[in-house]
Amino acid sequence: MSEIYDIGYRHYDGPRLGRAYATRALAVHSLRGVFGIGRPARSKIVPFALAAIMIMPSIVGIAMMALVKQRGIPYSGFAVVMQAVVAIFLAAQAPTVVAPDLRYRVLPLYLSRPVSITEYVGAKVAAMTVAVFALIAVPLTVTYLGELIVDMPGPPATGEYLGAVLMAFLLALLLAAFGLALASFTPRRGLGVASVITVYLLSSASVPIIYGTLYSSGNESAAAWAWLANPFWLVDSVQHWLFGTTPHSIEGAAYPSGPASAAVLVLLIAAGLAALALRYRKAAAR
Amino acid sequence: MHILATEGLTKRFPTVTAVDQLTVTVGSGVTGLVGANGAGKSTLIKILLGLLPPSGGTARVLDLDVTAQGAQIRRLVGYMPEHECLPPDVSATELVVHLARMSGLPRTAARERAADVLRHVGLAEERYRPVGGYSTGMKQRVKLAQALVHDPKLIFLDEPTNGLDPRGRDEMLTLIRRIGTEFGISVLVTSHLLGELERICDHVVVIDAGRLLRSSAIGEFTQATQTVTVEVDEGLDELAARLTAGGQTVSRQGRLLVVKVLGPATYDAIRDTTAELGLCLIRLEQGRHRIEDVFREEVAHV
Repeated sequence: MSEIYDIGYRHYDGPRLGRAYATRALAVHSLRGVFGIGRPARSKIVPFALAAIMIMPSIVGIAMMALVKQRGIPYSGFAVVMQAVVAIFLAAQAPTVVAPDLRYRVLPLYLSRPVSITEYVGAKVAAMTVAVFALIAVPLTVTYLGELIVDMPGPPATGEYLGAVLMAFLLALLLAAFGLALASFTPRRGLGVASVITVYLLSSASVPIIYGTLYSSGNESAAAWAWLANPFWLVDSVQHWLFGTTPHSIEGAAYPSGPASAAVLVLLIAAGLAALALRYRKAAAR
Repeated sequence: MHILATEGLTKRFPTVTAVDQLTVTVGSGVTGLVGANGAGKSTLIKILLGLLPPSGGTARVLDLDVTAQGAQIRRLVGYMPEHECLPPDVSATELVVHLARMSGLPRTAARERAADVLRHVGLAEERYRPVGGYSTGMKQRVKLAQALVHDPKLIFLDEPTNGLDPRGRDEMLTLIRRIGTEFGISVLVTSHLLGELERICDHVVVIDAGRLLRSSAIGEFTQATQTVTVEVDEGLDELAARLTAGGQTVSRQGRLLVVKVLGPATYDAIRDTTAELGLCLIRLEQGRHRIEDVFREEVAHV
């Protein structure tokens, strides 16, 4: 026989942690949201299915290394080859990070707490960056571990692997900033998905169009700049400059100068973050 | 001690002045902030939370300055917005735990507090279901729970009875009264339905177009004009006639008589007259005059 006693209201006199703790908690909460952890099963299907597709080349690569002593997709080219999957992941999951808080006006509940709007946005960008980074870096790491275990002839491609991981981080930051900015301007989840994927498709489709136009008009060196319209090739061109990896552009076409690519990358990341900041300054004022 | 104090507080938007030279102090307990829609109540709360910089004047909450110490204020106060603000796909428990952590509570403490607070607002097993399937009343309770979860010193409740049916409204008001008394948390509650606040508030602040109309203890509002409502089975006309003849001010409202209380003699007169006529007295109720009427008078004077 159990009885429920009403013990009345109890005050809380335990510790109250600072804004850094709250920001971290928000980032982890958002990251779990990206992968649907702690959400209904249907929220997990898309992110985990895409993660599974991303890991497949690693498995094939390891099998190739073990059986025929040949490498699969090179570390430096993994993100470019798998760009469609990464783009779909970004489009599908970026809206889950920012859209509900805007659409259902949850933002005031955060803002009436110590965290500032900058910390809120920072936590969201961090969560999405880590998610995209994990999506690319986990398969890279699995392949690398496979390479070490299989013991390929010759030294392991440690340098290329580490370079690829660093570039995966920069790519993730760029994609997160843009994906979240686009999704935050279109708070309905479906619209957010559509807008991110549309921008990706446009950026991809514009590459051959710009390239072809400039090339046929005899502007071969200017045509190389077309590659920078697509975020994956942009980051690859920076990688090419930083680590001397072979370009993973179509048919190995040359990229424009590395420093310029790096500048474009930095500018685009800044632009994405600025757009987010503007969007949230407006949202916070409501 | 004042829990909040404003001094010439002004907030101008490009097209409208939402708060206009407001100087008011509020003590602990339950305080009602009354005003019509658009009177500046929500704007005032946002300023007090340190989220909206005032155009002029100063405001202090729990003796902290709203412009300089906003983050510290937000650590110590809770806020229940007027509008819907709950994501539909998470459970009440998950949301409240998360928001407790956003207020700086460590994980285990956040869980305990969330469970406690959800119990206090009256959410039982349903707290594990997604919020999207809740009724308006349940959603309002979740909104209240998230405002209480970090055990604030003061909570701002913006139109907490909005959209509730009469029973839900009663329960919400009772809960707010308990928060102010039993829980020992000061409450600033806004409403445009003025009558409901007189049941739960110690003090009422009336604003209109961002200006202070009146700020006084609840007693002063209701003492001004007291009435007693009389309901009898039949013979209402007779009773009214007798009372009027006896010098009482009587007005008829449907099947009820509203008699103005001139003093203790009024009650005696009603009792005696009813007995003399042999009427069946069903109800004799202290009909404290509504704040609405006071408010209306104030507006008329301005």
